[in-house]
Amino acid sequence: MGQSSIAGGAGACLPPARPVRWSLARKVSLALLSILLSTLVVTAFFAYYKFESVYSAQVQSRYSFVVFTIKKKVEDSLNLGFALRQLRQVQEIIEREKSRDPQILAVEVYDYRGEVLFDTDRGAIGTKVSESLAEAIRSGMQQSFSVMDEDNLIVGLPLVNNLGKVEGGVVLRYPIAYVEKGVSGLLTQLLKSIAIALVAASVVAVAGLYVLFGGVGRKLGSMERAMGEVLSVGGQAIPENGGDSFEARFAEFVAKTRETIDHVKDATDEVGRLDRLM
Amino acid sequence: MILDRTRPLFIRLLLLVVLVLVPPVAWIAYQAMGEFTRGLVPEMDKKAEAIGRDLELSIERAVGYGIPLDQLQGVDQFFAPVLAANPEIRYLAVTDRGGKVLFTEGAELNALNAIYGGVDFATDMEHSRKFALGSFIDLAQPLSIKGGRIGHIHVGMDQDYVRGRLQEILIDLGVVTLVALLVAVEILLFVVTFNITGPMRVVGTVMDRVRRGDFSCSAGVTSDDEVGRFVHGFNGAIRLADQLFRRLEAYMEEVKAAHFDAGVVEKVKDIESRVRFLFRFARNGQPEVVNEHQATDIRLPLFLFVFAEEISRSFMPLYIRDLYAPIPGLSPEMVMGLPIALFMLVIALASPSAALLANRLGARRVFLIGLVPATIGFVMSGLAFTVYDLIAWRVATALGYAFITMACQGYIAQVSQQRTRAQGLGVYVGAVLTASVCGTGIGGVLAERVGFRVTFLVAGVLTVITAVLIWRLLGSAQPVAEGPSPRKRDFLRLLRNWRFSALVAFAAIPAKIALTGFLFFLVPLTLNRNPSIDLGDMARMMMAYPVSVVLLSPLVARFADRVGWRAGLVAVGGLIGGAGLVLPAFWGEPVQAVQVAILLLGISHGLSASPQLAMIPDLCWTECRAIGQTNVLAFLRLAERIGSFAGPLLAAALLPLYGFEGAVAALGWVVLGMAVVFALLSFAYHAGPHIETEWGE
Repeated sequence: MGQSSIAGGAGACLPPARPVRWSLARKVSLALLSILLSTLVVTAFFAYYKFESVYSAQVQSRYSFVVFTIKKKVEDSLNLGFALRQLRQVQEIIEREKSRDPQILAVEVYDYRGEVLFDTDRGAIGTKVSESLAEAIRSGMQQSFSVMDEDNLIVGLPLVNNLGKVEGGVVLRYPIAYVEKGVSGLLTQLLKSIAIALVAASVVAVAGLYVLFGGVGRKLGSMERAMGEVLSVGGQAIPENGGDSFEARFAEFVAKTRETIDHVKDATDEVGRLDRLM
Repeated sequence: MILDRTRPLFIRLLLLVVLVLVPPVAWIAYQAMGEFTRGLVPEMDKKAEAIGRDLELSIERAVGYGIPLDQLQGVDQFFAPVLAANPEIRYLAVTDRGGKVLFTEGAELNALNAIYGGVDFATDMEHSRKFALGSFIDLAQPLSIKGGRIGHIHVGMDQDYVRGRLQEILIDLGVVTLVALLVAVEILLFVVTFNITGPMRVVGTVMDRVRRGDFSCSAGVTSDDEVGRFVHGFNGAIRLADQLFRRLEAYMEEVKAAHFDAGVVEKVKDIESRVRFLFRFARNGQPEVVNEHQATDIRLPLFLFVFAEEISRSFMPLYIRDLYAPIPGLSPEMVMGLPIALFMLVIALASPSAALLANRLGARRVFLIGLVPATIGFVMSGLAFTVYDLIAWRVATALGYAFITMACQGYIAQVSQQRTRAQGLGVYVGAVLTASVCGTGIGGVLAERVGFRVTFLVAGVLTVITAVLIWRLLGSAQPVAEGPSPRKRDFLRLLRNWRFSALVAFAAIPAKIALTGFLFFLVPLTLNRNPSIDLGDMARMMMAYPVSVVLLSPLVARFADRVGWRAGLVAVGGLIGGAGLVLPAFWGEPVQAVQVAILLLGISHGLSASPQLAMIPDLCWTECRAIGQTNVLAFLRLAERIGSFAGPLLAAALLPLYGFEGAVAALGWVVLGMAVVFALLSFAYHAGPHIETEWGE
């Protein structure tokens, strides 16, 4: 009979350790940094759009007030019984308002059919306003309305006579660029802040995760080494400070494995000895 | 740090997440606030100037007609509509050349006199000038006649207005941060359990078997991190013992077969018996690979899916209203309530079949099947033309919802042992409630920025991510047969148990009526009537419900376990919820009343949800024994959906009769009435086992 090659071996060897390709710290860092980036971007997105909406509402409310003052003046004249078309002083009123604010692109007064009667751009008098503006006063709503027209924002109010009949409308155009310019400072600031916050928080996150998961890795590494040592040269896998319940169970596992290996080896030696008995 | 326990590692990670997320968001918010103030204040000044200029012209015209400034009539009435139309303007005032207040509206004359008394209006007042006066910014513009100054017009802006706008932005950012933290918690909980504690639990299971001498298994962990490397070595140790045994086994077989001395063969047989008695190795040389599935495997996908569904919670009735088209025979309110009611009905009808399918096909497959109608439903809801097709798409979403929730519950039932079943259901409830907080909060803010339709598309994207997660991460665990399904007769027997029937009819159903009728349907419609409340505000107000349930539920569960006063807690919860809904009938401020009602509804459900479930084993112990506790609980969940279906329709029926606040109060009286009945019946419940059913057996 041939004797087993393992019989009488001094210790048992574990297979070579598998290399770590993606460490725990790297995996969790990736997840945490993705969350961080998303949070910062979403925060900036909401901050920007909230500010834009508050800012543009503020600008619109200012121009609505200007339109309201024009409306009051025009309606005062309408209430004297004049037709909208006959109110020559309206041209002067709207031109004065435009001259007060360089951001105002145009002020227009149009009748119920949508024909422009007065316009700060005199060349536009007699033309038709867009369907959306004509529709805005025909809907019967006597509140202010706002429309976007290519690069302009428009606020307007219907002109109503003292019998409650809508005679026409007054609208004021101002550039979208004005609002964009007002909020662009914030956008730049936010981008800068995100970049700084991202870098700073990433450093903290990665350092923290390496400390946290480095501990896990070290603990696992020391357990693995202890196992290798116990299986090859003997001893116990219990850490110096006693370890936690998992480590205690692991030490028992290692001890049992060592005991099993020894037992199997002894049994193999015994079988070998019996085998050699002729 | 114990490696196979999630909590210690998770708490450290959570602290790190808070440290990493909160300060950067706070810093960005701080930077943004500075920029907001710099941008907003000049714009407010311009508006104040425009208002001041208009008033200045009117006053100058009047004075120009020869009326002395101090004898102008009706100035207060002239100022009042201007103040009413411009909320950021707190007061308007006219002072004479010396700064004496002649007219004011919005502020006390004496208060302004006291403030203006110390200001030198005589010098450098050719142009408008800004003063900081207490909590106001005063913009003073000169009034002049023929080049001579006669006084000033003052436009007082409220500093709190800017602060209020900034506060709104901060609250939005606070919601985003809270949601980000909750999402981070969900993701990191998943990362920790999936990468560390889950594999280490598997290692623990294998380790315990080895400690008993059983080397027939190995841990099925193949990751390429430190845990994977450790498990590789760990399995290597088991394999080493196994290989040595294989060689010994082969050697012994060889000796037994070929040795001429029968005594030696007997001795070798003894050795073999001894080794086999002491240790156990795999029979075929292939160790059993242990892969432990856990309830937490399903948590992140479930969280994402419920997040996607909840994202439309705060605006669904408003979206339905936008798509309104008449349906013959139904009032407009009923049409608006219909998609929500049908959504609930389809969930109720599809859930039993979905549960059976989950048992037959396995949770993973049913989850993936459910994601198909859900994704189509979300995307197409965002593209709906009218309420007709919206109803169809919501029905598709409901079908997906039923499949997915049943698949999750089935998965948890499969992977949890009896003693950890409650813990598993806790994972389910936790994921649903956290998703509810996040979805409701972020949905409103998102819809406010990008609109309803895009928000639905975001929900669709979330379901696709959910599908990828389920596909990649959830093991295709084979379904475990759970025994025969209960028959209809069993459920009828359950309904004959009056305690159970009373619990369903007077506690579970009214709770759902309040939830769907009030919170899901009436709240968005009622709050939307107030122009100062936007979608983000609405969502934040609605968040009070899930937040209070999340906070209260675990505390109450512990309290109920300790005190055992479960029926009482359910009754008190019902009464609080009903009373909260009745509030708008007595509270002059409808918005505040609705906010308090939402909070009280959250407290109500936080108080009653856990005790309701915990009561079941006591109330229905014979039924639980006969058809299983899971089936009894499933029947309770199914029966309460009657309330989910009826809630929006009842609210829609009450709306034309009593108006918005009236409908809330009327619904409240219904809920309160039912809660009173339950409270009275609860005195007859007694503690302890269900005696009558026992007698009836």
